[in-house]
Amino acid sequence: MKQESVKRDIQLLKERSQWLRKELFELVMRTKKGHVPSSYSCAEILVALFYGGYLRFDSKDPRSPTRDRLIISKGHAAMALYPILADFGYYSKDELLKFTKSNGILRFYPDNSIPGIESITGSLGHGLGIGCGYGYAAKTDGLHYRSFVVVSDGECYEGSVWETALFASHYQLDNVVAIVDRNGLCIMDETENCVRLDPLEEKWKAFGWDTVAINGHSYKEILPALDRAVANSSGKPLAIISNSVKGKGISFMESKARWHNKMPNDEEMARAREELMVNCILD
Amino acid sequence: MEKNSKLPRDIFLDQIHAAARNNKNIYVMTADLGSDALDRFRAEMGRQFIHAGISEQNMIDVAAGMALNGKIVYVYAMAPFVTLRCFEQIKVAIASMGLPLTIIGVGVGYSYEDAGPTHYATEDISCMRSLAGIEILTPGDEQSVIQAARLTFAKPALRYIRLDRTYLPTLYNEGDNRFMQDGIAEIDRGETLCIMTAGYMLQKARAVKVRLESDGIKPGIIDVFRLKPINGQVLRSVLAPYSKVVTLEEHFLSGGLGGALVEAMVDNGIRKDIKRIGIEDHYYCENGGRNYLHQLAGIDVDTVTDAVRSFAKL
Repeated sequence: MKQESVKRDIQLLKERSQWLRKELFELVMRTKKGHVPSSYSCAEILVALFYGGYLRFDSKDPRSPTRDRLIISKGHAAMALYPILADFGYYSKDELLKFTKSNGILRFYPDNSIPGIESITGSLGHGLGIGCGYGYAAKTDGLHYRSFVVVSDGECYEGSVWETALFASHYQLDNVVAIVDRNGLCIMDETENCVRLDPLEEKWKAFGWDTVAINGHSYKEILPALDRAVANSSGKPLAIISNSVKGKGISFMESKARWHNKMPNDEEMARAREELMVNCILD
Repeated sequence: MEKNSKLPRDIFLDQIHAAARNNKNIYVMTADLGSDALDRFRAEMGRQFIHAGISEQNMIDVAAGMALNGKIVYVYAMAPFVTLRCFEQIKVAIASMGLPLTIIGVGVGYSYEDAGPTHYATEDISCMRSLAGIEILTPGDEQSVIQAARLTFAKPALRYIRLDRTYLPTLYNEGDNRFMQDGIAEIDRGETLCIMTAGYMLQKARAVKVRLESDGIKPGIIDVFRLKPINGQVLRSVLAPYSKVVTLEEHFLSGGLGGALVEAMVDNGIRKDIKRIGIEDHYYCENGGRNYLHQLAGIDVDTVTDAVRSFAKL
């Protein structure tokens, strides 16, 4: 997919948002396995990357050397990619029905045996380093692909993230983009009630990154940030702080820590489906 | 015994350096451990040298990203740090994706004498050999360091190379590389009893052998160059002349060389009388040098000689 040939139609992206939320909800509900709220907080970022034409990829040639690399380092939310990858033909849509089943290829946490998945993730704090390995290799090989790494805010507790942040800035990996999904929650509570992360954007800045903070559910803010990411040649890596709502789109799950891996009962499922009939994304 | 003129790390890295000149896909990363050879590499090889900061975890993750792009990557640091500090990175980012990576750990056992437990690698074998698909090599002299280094770029795989910090005496003549094929090689033929060990401890085993010969005990000495995987057929044939086996290691007994060999013997139905000698469960914060640490740990030449003599007479 060529970046320049895609018309960034916000209405279309909003429709994809609603579609992805519905698909992901049913994917998880079929087996009652998965993480809906963590996936929803980064849904617009993923939709924009794939359907906004920012990510260069070829589902017919998933290992093309010049493809952009996308790593969902918050591996518990990588299942949000599964409907998208099926939609682009990386594998059959039937695989979505076989999520976690013995005859399926899609698992709770992703790994690179799945077409379209670049790296195993699920243990936090690895994806950004792996993404920087890609970035360093791209620079030495004279290739122009980029690494996009979706990192969770809770993941920023891992020291390895900051080891990598130093590395990326020292080696001027401006082909690496960290998208920090700042939904404000880890499993037990709000991050600021566990161990404080704020001021988070300033921390990335202090580590030598360019930063931009956006509303992670507003395409009007996401698209300019990604425009900047794909044009970046500043010599500094870019961190997009994507302020988001965990569980965005299902009101009773929104910003409630206990819904991290809790499954709704029948009544709650019906209510969630009803809410998903209305698109929660405004612009 | 003749000592080599170059440190194991320099011998190893000079081999990599020569290969990297002709292969731009070879990269050496360090977490701030240096060496003369690494200084030469850094000066000449530009972006093929990567200082990762004192950040072993990031070093492994970046190496994974490079390996996913087809690069032949070496990570180099002190043995305790490049194994335990980043163990989960090696498991997740390298082993679980089946990626090739050469992990060079310098200073195994008590190599960093007088440094204390932070710098001792006395549990590296037990941890690293638990990883699926890893190969573990402990080169014991110049020839085996050279051959191990050549293997890493000829056939890239996930390997942990255990290097001693010190100069090592010669075990193998140039061109003698049976240890490469078999992984286990008898370097001294003995009678009835053999001592299986690796790396630095081979010279100690030979010292024990000299002592015992005056008692009429003639132990064979067997180099366990490749601790994982162990070839059961080779093990059976190497041990065929012996009924008693002593394993000797500068490592905790839990899960170390002796443990690995005993498991391999059991799994292959090889029945011998076995005695394991290694470090009992204790961390020593003591000065006095490597030999003194060996005395404390019960792996010095005197103690081992006595233990082997008693075992031989059982």
